[in-house]
Amino acid sequence: MTVLSDERASQAISVLLVEDDAPTSWRLQDALTSAGFQVTAAATLAEARACLSRGGPKVLLTDLQLPDGHGVELIRETRRRFPDTEIMVISILGDEESVISAITVGATGYLLKDAFPTDIATTVHDLVAGHSPISASIARFIVRRTQATVEPPPGPQLNTAKLTPREIDILWGIAKGFSYAEIAGHLGMSRQTVPGHIKSIYRKLEVHTRGEAVFEALQQGLIKL
Amino acid sequence: MAAKIALPARHRRWPSRLVPYLLLQALIAGLCVLALPLSLPEPPAQYRITDFRMIEDGTERLVALPHFTAPRYAPDDSPRFAAQFVRPHAEAGRAWSVFLPRFTNGVEVTVNGVIVHDSRRDPAANRPDRNTPQIADIPAPILRDGVNDLSIRLFVWGPIPGFLDRIWVGADEVLRPYYDLRTQLFVTLPVVFSAWQAILTVILGIMWVMRRHEPAYGVLAAAMAVGFIQAFTQTPMDETPLSRLNVFLISSAPLECALVLTFTLLLSGLKWQRWWLVFFAPAMLLALAGLIGSQATARALYPVLAVPTVGTSLLVMAFVSARSAVRRQNVASFLLGCAVTIMLTCWIVDLLSVFQIVPNRIFTSRLSYSAMLVAIGAGLTWRFARALNEVDSFAGQLVTRVRQAEERLKASFAREEERARAAALARERTRLMRDLHDGLGGQLVSIVALSERAEAGGPIGDAARAALRDLRVVIDSMDDIGGDLMLALGSWRERAVAQLRPHDIALDFRILTPQGLPVHPELRPWHVLQIVRILDEALTNAVKHSGARRITVSIETIDDAGPQGRITIQDDGKGFELVAGDGGFASHQGGRGLRNMQSRAARCGAELVLNSDAAGTQVRLTLPHRLPDSDGAGS
Repeated sequence: MTVLSDERASQAISVLLVEDDAPTSWRLQDALTSAGFQVTAAATLAEARACLSRGGPKVLLTDLQLPDGHGVELIRETRRRFPDTEIMVISILGDEESVISAITVGATGYLLKDAFPTDIATTVHDLVAGHSPISASIARFIVRRTQATVEPPPGPQLNTAKLTPREIDILWGIAKGFSYAEIAGHLGMSRQTVPGHIKSIYRKLEVHTRGEAVFEALQQGLIKL
Repeated sequence: MAAKIALPARHRRWPSRLVPYLLLQALIAGLCVLALPLSLPEPPAQYRITDFRMIEDGTERLVALPHFTAPRYAPDDSPRFAAQFVRPHAEAGRAWSVFLPRFTNGVEVTVNGVIVHDSRRDPAANRPDRNTPQIADIPAPILRDGVNDLSIRLFVWGPIPGFLDRIWVGADEVLRPYYDLRTQLFVTLPVVFSAWQAILTVILGIMWVMRRHEPAYGVLAAAMAVGFIQAFTQTPMDETPLSRLNVFLISSAPLECALVLTFTLLLSGLKWQRWWLVFFAPAMLLALAGLIGSQATARALYPVLAVPTVGTSLLVMAFVSARSAVRRQNVASFLLGCAVTIMLTCWIVDLLSVFQIVPNRIFTSRLSYSAMLVAIGAGLTWRFARALNEVDSFAGQLVTRVRQAEERLKASFAREEERARAAALARERTRLMRDLHDGLGGQLVSIVALSERAEAGGPIGDAARAALRDLRVVIDSMDDIGGDLMLALGSWRERAVAQLRPHDIALDFRILTPQGLPVHPELRPWHVLQIVRILDEALTNAVKHSGARRITVSIETIDDAGPQGRITIQDDGKGFELVAGDGGFASHQGGRGLRNMQSRAARCGAELVLNSDAAGTQVRLTLPHRLPDSDGAGS
């Protein structure tokens, strides 16, 4: 048992949890700690930055509305300083408003605040294993943005120009409720490659820096100098 | 590559068309040359008189008609031709006449010392460009049996040498048909042509007024007007201010020529150039000469100015028409080219006659002008017919295009409306979402979290979770999914899986047809909400009352007089009847849930069938072909 627990400790995955609502923070901590994660909690942006200065965690879970700032800033900073850190946003409704804005700065998934403890642990494990979850409504939002429209629809800005037709097909499959296996079958690919594609989709939707965003826009002819 | 081949081919084509064109023109010219010397029928030779004594400048000599004289004499110094003729006694009862088929410019006929005719009194006969014949009745009393004296004075006032053709003296009834024939040819026919010109003037004038951007019509109308006025202008015999204008009008041939040349150039597709005014210079000079100088000056200038102008213009017209006809295959230019060839041939023949190279003086240029009128008439008719055809086909096309444009406009208007509606909905949804996210959502999450920490907080947490779930359903249903219900089912599946996981119930989500459900462009958020709520209710019933371990959701499109979507939810639980008999509370709940589902289905025009037995419960929702626009239940 001690060997096992030692092994666990050595393999313990460090999680930085940034959540200002105390009850929510507690239940997330409980869910993660009992699943064996090594959790550091922060309630404000400043605390979170202080934690980050001591080193990058394996996983960053952050709320967006923080008392002293916005979670998006934290995600962007973490993404820049610790490229290996997996980032998830904690969302109340799982709505695209919050999730998409987090994705564009480097998050690769979201966690619902009221999710069951087991689901919370499973989701974080999957993320660490390289399986970025993507919900049907988020996939739907992205593919709707790939369809040509005269004026940009309301909501957060999203640049889908880099997505390949295959990736868009995968997103359509997810949006329509098909399982990974069904999608893989339809598109004539291996089921195991689907999560990789989804990770790639997240990476492509990320706008790294302001300068890069301008460069991207220039490349795609969205703006003219 | 294709263009590179096509280009030389096109260049090769027009020279290949040039040769037939030139051959045709040569044929036309040849036919003219052959036809022109064919002399008109002549009266019997017995009446013909050719040998005259000519008294000129006081000297007398024998001449044989036809005879050319000097280009000008003073009126009182005109040459006189004297001869004698015999009237046989046998013909004493018949009226006799003197027939003068052709002369220049005027004649005075004297028989036995009595003047029987003076052509100068007939202004129409004074035009040297016309081949006007004259016939003079010899009054019976002055005619004698046997030898009679005939004397003809020839008045010549230029601009060309005087001319007197052979003369016939004989029975009037024999000579008159020949006179009539010539009158018809050289007097009546030109009048007909002039009338034609007048009509063309009006038609072309109207065309030009209605189509000011086509100056060719205006120019041609002017040419026609000038020709018409010229035809009806008489040669003045004395000098008056009006007669000066007359002279100008008679010598308007160069003006007419310049106008027709301009027309030809415009017709062949060239744009008006300022230097084209040069064409009008001879006409202007001639007009100045007629107005400032005397008639004599104008007449003297006519051969120098007008004749070369006509010739040059005809040559240029022939070239331009040929180019346009051969290169652009312009039918109007082709007809004009043929007419110009005829006129050019006639002009050369007339010139030969003026220079006394051919022993005849029948001027054909004027008659050949009719050929051009025919060409212009034919060309205009052709253009008009073609334009009408174009208008017909264009009108047809226009009707089709307008209809297409109308349909596109309608479609785009509907699209625009749809888009505006969707945008408004999206904005509203975004606003609502932010609101719920910041307010209600956060509070519900806190309740969930707090209830988990409390000892007896389970039911409160579940209720808060259910409220959050419902919030997500409402927000989700407001999203614009473009009529594709599958997009709503995708989200529902995720929620269902999350809902079933704590109960350890498996969800088998089967999409049986490749597209799942048919697309409903008329799909509205409230339809989505009703359908999703029906599915949630079925799911909740299965979770709460059936004790099922597996729930199967099948999605398919059935074809019953058009595609219809069908969603079937099947569980492997105890069935509805067992639930109903289980106890009051459960059956009451189930009953109310069932009524709710039925009423929601009815509002969407969908059919809900519920089967339940010991092997499980099946809820089958069949969507209508078209979802209703307004909420049927009015709630």
